[in-house]
Amino acid sequence: MRYFARKIGFFVLTLWAVVTLNFLIPRLQPGDPAELMVQNLAGKNAQLNRAQVEAMRDLLGAPSGSLFSQYWSYLGQLAHGDLGISYTYFPYTVAEVIGKAFWWTVILVGAVQLLSFAIGILLGAFAAWRRNSRFDTSVTVISTFVGTLQPFWIALLLIYGLGYGLGWFPTAGGYEASTPGFNGAFLYDALSHAFLPALTLMIVTPIGWILGMRNTMIMNLGEDYIRLARAKGLPDRMIALRYAARNALLPSVAGFALALGGILGGTILVESVFDYPGLGRLMGEAVGIKDYPLLQGLMLLTAVATLVANLIADLLYGVLDPRARRAAA
Amino acid sequence: MALLDVRDLSIRYEPKQRPAVDAVDQLSFSIDEGEFVGLIGESGSGKTTVGMAVLRLLQRPGRISGGSITFDGTDIAHLSQDELRKYRWREISTVFQSSMNALNPVTRVEAQFADVIQCHTQLRGGEVTERIRTLFDMVLIDPKFMTAFPHELSGGMRQRINLALALAIGPRFVVLDEPTTGLDVVVQHSILENVRRLQAELGFAVLFISHDLGTVLDLSDRTMVMYAGKLAEEQATRQLLRDPLHPYTKGLLGSYGDPRAETVRITYVPGRPPDLAHRPDGCAFAARCPERIDRCAEIEPARTEAGEGLVACHVAAIQRGADGSGIEVGPPIRTFAGPQFVKSAAASAEAARGLPLVTVDDVSKTYVRRQGLRAVRTEAVSGANFVLHRGGVTALVGQSGSGKSTLARMITGVDAPTAGRITFHGSDGDQVVARMRGRRLRSYRGSVQMVFQDPYSALNPTKTLGATLARPLINFQQLHGSKLRERVIELLETVALSPGERFVNRYPHELSGGQRQRVVIARALAVEPELIVADEPISSLDVSIRAEVLELFDKLVHERNVGILYITHDLLSARMLCDEVVVLNEGKVVEQGPALDVIRSPQDDCTRLLLDAIPNPFAAARS
Ligand SMILES: Nc1ncnc2c1ncn2[C@@H]1O[C@H](COP(=O)(O)OP(=O)(O)OP(=O)(O)O)[C@@H](O)[C@H]1O
Ligand code: SF4
Ligand SMILES: [Mg+2]
Repeated sequence: MRYFARKIGFFVLTLWAVVTLNFLIPRLQPGDPAELMVQNLAGKNAQLNRAQVEAMRDLLGAPSGSLFSQYWSYLGQLAHGDLGISYTYFPYTVAEVIGKAFWWTVILVGAVQLLSFAIGILLGAFAAWRRNSRFDTSVTVISTFVGTLQPFWIALLLIYGLGYGLGWFPTAGGYEASTPGFNGAFLYDALSHAFLPALTLMIVTPIGWILGMRNTMIMNLGEDYIRLARAKGLPDRMIALRYAARNALLPSVAGFALALGGILGGTILVESVFDYPGLGRLMGEAVGIKDYPLLQGLMLLTAVATLVANLIADLLYGVLDPRARRAAA
Repeated sequence: MALLDVRDLSIRYEPKQRPAVDAVDQLSFSIDEGEFVGLIGESGSGKTTVGMAVLRLLQRPGRISGGSITFDGTDIAHLSQDELRKYRWREISTVFQSSMNALNPVTRVEAQFADVIQCHTQLRGGEVTERIRTLFDMVLIDPKFMTAFPHELSGGMRQRINLALALAIGPRFVVLDEPTTGLDVVVQHSILENVRRLQAELGFAVLFISHDLGTVLDLSDRTMVMYAGKLAEEQATRQLLRDPLHPYTKGLLGSYGDPRAETVRITYVPGRPPDLAHRPDGCAFAARCPERIDRCAEIEPARTEAGEGLVACHVAAIQRGADGSGIEVGPPIRTFAGPQFVKSAAASAEAARGLPLVTVDDVSKTYVRRQGLRAVRTEAVSGANFVLHRGGVTALVGQSGSGKSTLARMITGVDAPTAGRITFHGSDGDQVVARMRGRRLRSYRGSVQMVFQDPYSALNPTKTLGATLARPLINFQQLHGSKLRERVIELLETVALSPGERFVNRYPHELSGGQRQRVVIARALAVEPELIVADEPISSLDVSIRAEVLELFDKLVHERNVGILYITHDLLSARMLCDEVVVLNEGKVVEQGPALDVIRSPQDDCTRLLLDAIPNPFAAARS
């Protein structure tokens, strides 16, 4: 139990640090956010209108009071999910903008990651168990080959082949002909739009899991406890699952939780290529046009996601590997 | 009919990058129902390979390349894995060489018993638990540890549990591959006692594999000596002790001295076994054999019956009248006419008069560990007093957990005592170790060097010996260029890795265990230390290599006037090397004095326990 308490305590502490940094960094930056925003709305070379800037300052709830009281109200805002207002999507708040993109990415990437992980683990484990068989050789060769391809290149290939060439799937956007909501038409529309980006990711993401699982499993198969399990005359399936795969899974599970945390960063390219309305594309945009509040909100989200993923990885590891609990306690 | 009958068994390793090796070459032996047979031989002689073949667990790149393994009338050498399943564990079970990793680290011990019990018997539910409880009782472990994970158990406990596991289904034959190597002598002794008792009670047959002659001779009814993939000799153990046939056996026996004698003398086999990828013509042992005759280099000696035993040696065959060639070889001798290592009590007394080098004065160390709100105090060392002399060797002896390593850490300045003081009488005056700082501390760290138990992990596998030895020379003595190279070669020669030029560019994996340990020692010498702290430096090595390392330490003491603190749980090797002995028990010095006195008339129970744990095959032979 101490292990879990420690990990959670550590999580809370780092979370606080991240939130605080997120508060401090923009305040250390030179420049007035209200000016920036007005400039942004007016266009690059327009003369700044003082009155507009003042109005904007009021709208944004410009900082006043001591740093401490600002910090306090920042925490209050954060607790209510208030991340400020986006420059680009004005007058939408950052929370609204992110909220909209959030589910697109989470559903697409979450499903892809889960599926890739399951497929990768199974293929990797089976390849290792049947090491040097024809199956193993093909899996390894194909994975290594695909691993050298760039995801956006695969994406372009798919767009060209399945999109333009055969015209089976739409090549850009998240939906078009339907109204978002829980209705059949929209779901069909969204799914067919998600298909190509999902396929691209499905081709690339399992590679790491396959090769990683295969390697750890092969290493574990050489361990004495596997030999002993063989000597015990246990059925092959039991040795493969309960002894070999169970141990080989440990590093992958931790890696999986981390990968989930890193969803955002990993999808910028693919989402941009498919013009998919998710967080990755949003991040790309925000960087491109220097939408600081949005960027800051996304960064906070990414950092928190990574922290949560880390926490989950640690907790899972603690459940799966009794040695970890003890070593860290 | 024998329970296990191995005929002309050959095993070949065919690694991808290296030449193929016939690790086992036409080996034949048999084991009767309920018989306890020992298999000894030095590292790499193929013992484990034989054991694995009998268990049919050889893995790529190894395979059985010839011969048969008949178990209870069936040749199992070529059965498929499915057909083998009915022999596994029910008939043949095992305890592995490094059973530390033989248990699945992520499941409870109980489950690892339950799966095999349910797999091979009709027992279910409560009956299984009952059976496990009985097995735990058999190996003297509290059944409450059933629900523990392997890492929560000590090495000794794990090994007992492995033993219990091997007996779970009541097998007829058990392969024990170095079941106690790496454990504290006292624990080792009690586990082997346990094995012996259970074997007598349950009547299973055993193939007991070990490189430790003492334990094999102590336990086995019959002993087989293996050399370079072949059996050199096989005899009833009593007979082997009385009348060893093969020169190699004599060499192994010669490595046992009587620690109680005024002057202990051990002989050892010089050199290393041949590279199995390039097996020499004639007798594989010829290069190291003092009894060699002309034909040894040309004709491979055949397995011959001599008296009640079997031997593969020309000279032995001629001497026992099993060879009619009429070559003159003289009568059989009992001893090995090789190099000797001698330690006399008189020389030790001399050394003890040397100048003090380190004074340990009423030193205590208490570790405080937080457990929730409570602070748990562990007295690792309490009130220790002793003196290390220049040009002398002091043994720090005790069971595992007695505080030996804690003391060593304080002496090397890594840890500070909670009370008392350690004074170093170095070349630049007396200094209290715990008060040294900065430059002084660094120079002290140079004067005191450590040599650890495991030469395999102590060297960086990616660096050549030259690079390994150059590092401290550059750091501590600012040597460069040709000076540096000269000194590196000189160091290699000092530790008898000569010619040094041949070794500078080698990597650790190209060396034997003893050679590696010598490199570690050479590295320690690079900074010209005044004190060497050696923590179990030989326990993981073969007997002939052990003698090599002991010899080297001995030379250092005499030629360079360094002091050595030799940490061990093995009193026999302590007597061979050390002038004085300090016995530690639960953090307290319970006894100290000249090595011979302590060993001859131990005053403390703990010392007696350690002495009793030294296997003494000769005692049994004499009675
Ligand atoms: N997987 C392997 N690949 C290639 N050669 C191997 C392999 N395993 C063992 N060998 C070789 O086979 C020979 C016998 O090894 P084995 O492990 O049987 O020795 P051993 O007598 O058990 O030694 P130890 O006392 O160190 O356990 C050695 O020369 C070794 O180098
Ligand atoms: S055959 Fe010759 S070389 Fe070999 S052990 Fe016998 S005497 Fe020595
Ligand atoms: Mg072995």
